Amino acid sequence: MSNPFTLNGGACLAMAGKDCVAIACDLRLGQQALTLSNNFPKIFNYGDVFLGLTGLATDVQTMHSLFRYKVNLYRLREEREIEPETMANLVSSSLYERRFGPYFVSPVVAGINQRTGKPFICGFDSIGCIDFAKDFIVSGTASDQLFGVAEGLWEPDLEPEDLFETVSQTLLNSLDRDALAGWGAHVYIITKDKVTKRLLRTRQD
Amino acid sequence: MDALVSKYGGSDLDDLNILEEDEDEVTSSLPQSVSFILPPIDSPAKFLRAMTDDHTNPSAPIKLKHGTTTLAFKYQGGVIVCTDSRATQGSWIASQTVKKVIEINPYLLGTMAGGAADCQYWLTYLGMECRLHQLRHKRLISVAAASKILANLVYSYKGMGLSMGTMLTGVGHGGVFGLYYVDSDGNRVEGNLFCVGSGQTFAYGVLDRGYKWDLTDEEALELGRRSILAATHRDAYSGGYLNLYHIQKDGWVHHGFDDTNPVFWKQKLEKGEFQNVSTSLD
Amino acid sequence: MKNPTMDVLLGIRGKDFVLIGTSKAFLHGITVVKDTDDKTRALNDHTLLAFSGEAGDTIQFAEFIQANTQLYTMRHSSDLPVSSVASFVRTELASSLRSRHPYTVNMLIGGYDTKKEEPQLYWLDYLASSAEIPYAAHGYAQYYCLSILDAHYKKGMGVEEVAGLMKDCHEELKRRMPIDFKGLLVKIVDKDGIRELEGF
Repeated sequence: MSNPFTLNGGACLAMAGKDCVAIACDLRLGQQALTLSNNFPKIFNYGDVFLGLTGLATDVQTMHSLFRYKVNLYRLREEREIEPETMANLVSSSLYERRFGPYFVSPVVAGINQRTGKPFICGFDSIGCIDFAKDFIVSGTASDQLFGVAEGLWEPDLEPEDLFETVSQTLLNSLDRDALAGWGAHVYIITKDKVTKRLLRTRQD
Repeated sequence: MDALVSKYGGSDLDDLNILEEDEDEVTSSLPQSVSFILPPIDSPAKFLRAMTDDHTNPSAPIKLKHGTTTLAFKYQGGVIVCTDSRATQGSWIASQTVKKVIEINPYLLGTMAGGAADCQYWLTYLGMECRLHQLRHKRLISVAAASKILANLVYSYKGMGLSMGTMLTGVGHGGVFGLYYVDSDGNRVEGNLFCVGSGQTFAYGVLDRGYKWDLTDEEALELGRRSILAATHRDAYSGGYLNLYHIQKDGWVHHGFDDTNPVFWKQKLEKGEFQNVSTSLD
Repeated sequence: MKNPTMDVLLGIRGKDFVLIGTSKAFLHGITVVKDTDDKTRALNDHTLLAFSGEAGDTIQFAEFIQANTQLYTMRHSSDLPVSSVASFVRTELASSLRSRHPYTVNMLIGGYDTKKEEPQLYWLDYLASSAEIPYAAHGYAQYYCLSILDAHYKKGMGVEEVAGLMKDCHEELKRRMPIDFKGLLVKIVDKDGIRELEGF
């Protein structure tokens, strides 16, 4: 039986900068070696918070609709947008709810806390252990490559434009060494009052 | 070299009674000089498979390079050979610049799929045998004979874990074009059109639709290139560069080792192909 | 991954319509039980579902979906749009996936959205992964047809052209697939509804 985490392929990366964060993903949907779609984004936003989901595609879609539902209820109850730290705990507890039959996903949360203005990024394992990070978070089939390149390129307090360059180069060069991810990429640069989304034109092999 | 010539070459060359191409004769030249050191255990073949077969055991300690798309087809103007250049170990892309066409001699090409080392070694060895044949008989070996040497050779190692799927093609004595598919199971098939490797079906799709015997040289080269491009796009384990050859009456000509990336975008943006790939955010 | 089946499902989206082709052979083991099988169900006037997969599961699940979309039409006196049908199917299949007896069904949903006035084609596999794409296939057909479509599919093609593409795919499958799948049953979905297309 094949590994559900690598069946569909995909990669995600988040980085923190000076008063900004970036989150990026590839666009591939595959079935093992076969590439089915080149337009399968793995980053979703819930108000000001961004969630990247890699792993089994069906669970990526299921979790996206689950969090859309939960965050909408949160917004109605609290009459305000959810903050990234709260989202992280929501993701964590939702994953642990399925401790004995997990969703096969590796989520990444990124956002700016709208009250304090502080950048926030974190990652999770598939059953909800939160990995808080000050620098970067990687996930997906290219995670080994992403770790290596990010360790080499990331530096503290990058401005938004430099952070975009760093994130893009890290993702692009990692994808070029992973057979199961790539075929296009989305990059979000998030500051307190602005979000920029870009499509990267990548190799298509 | 001189020693070989004096050993195999007679002085009155023209009087030599050259036998017609005879496949039985070829089998007699099986290697005596090559031998391999086997591990000192009960069943080396079984041991090797346990160590290297990542299909049945993904955590096998020795990972062999896999994944390929290669094609070759005969047409009115000779033979076209085209391959990708990616080598993968699991999902890790180990190389994007593999030469999967092995230039056996100026008249013969072999393609590489399966175990990279097996293909490289045995096709190089085949080159040696072909040269010896040439020295013995004072003429080029036919592709039929060369492919039979290879087929018999790998068949003698059957069950030992050799892994190769190769197309042997070229031009032999009298300018006859030959194209054979030879694999490590022992298959040896003559044909006009083959695709081999994990991306073979994708290449077949494009190739079959565009193929006809009367292709011009330009059309044939383009069809070969386009078919491999199709496979690199859909098959995760194929990619890198397009390695293109044309075999003519007087031997093969190399037509470039080109990055797929610019070729892909040119094909998409100028010809409107690959509509599944988006170029802008909605 | 479950064994890809010899059943052929092919879908191509054109300028203002979707074409869906399915193989006519009903296979049971090595026997062709029937050569006029229809692997599609009409969900409403403008949505067609094509399916393949585990025997039994396919028709049970397809007709369950068909019944529920028809119920929706009766209750609301209007059809559920294609994107919503696809979302409904995905949700049902996803919740079945983590039950004791998951349905093993691969599907294509083709339809014409009468509000947006555009055709849509959805690809769904038995794990309930879904994607909206211009052309799609299931089973071994994917491996032969997607590259042909990558090369020859163009934006805004008419019925004639898309039917031509479908024929090219059919030819290739006949040439390279090891079994006779008894030809394709091709249906078109456009603003006028669902019809069979002759000439295959």
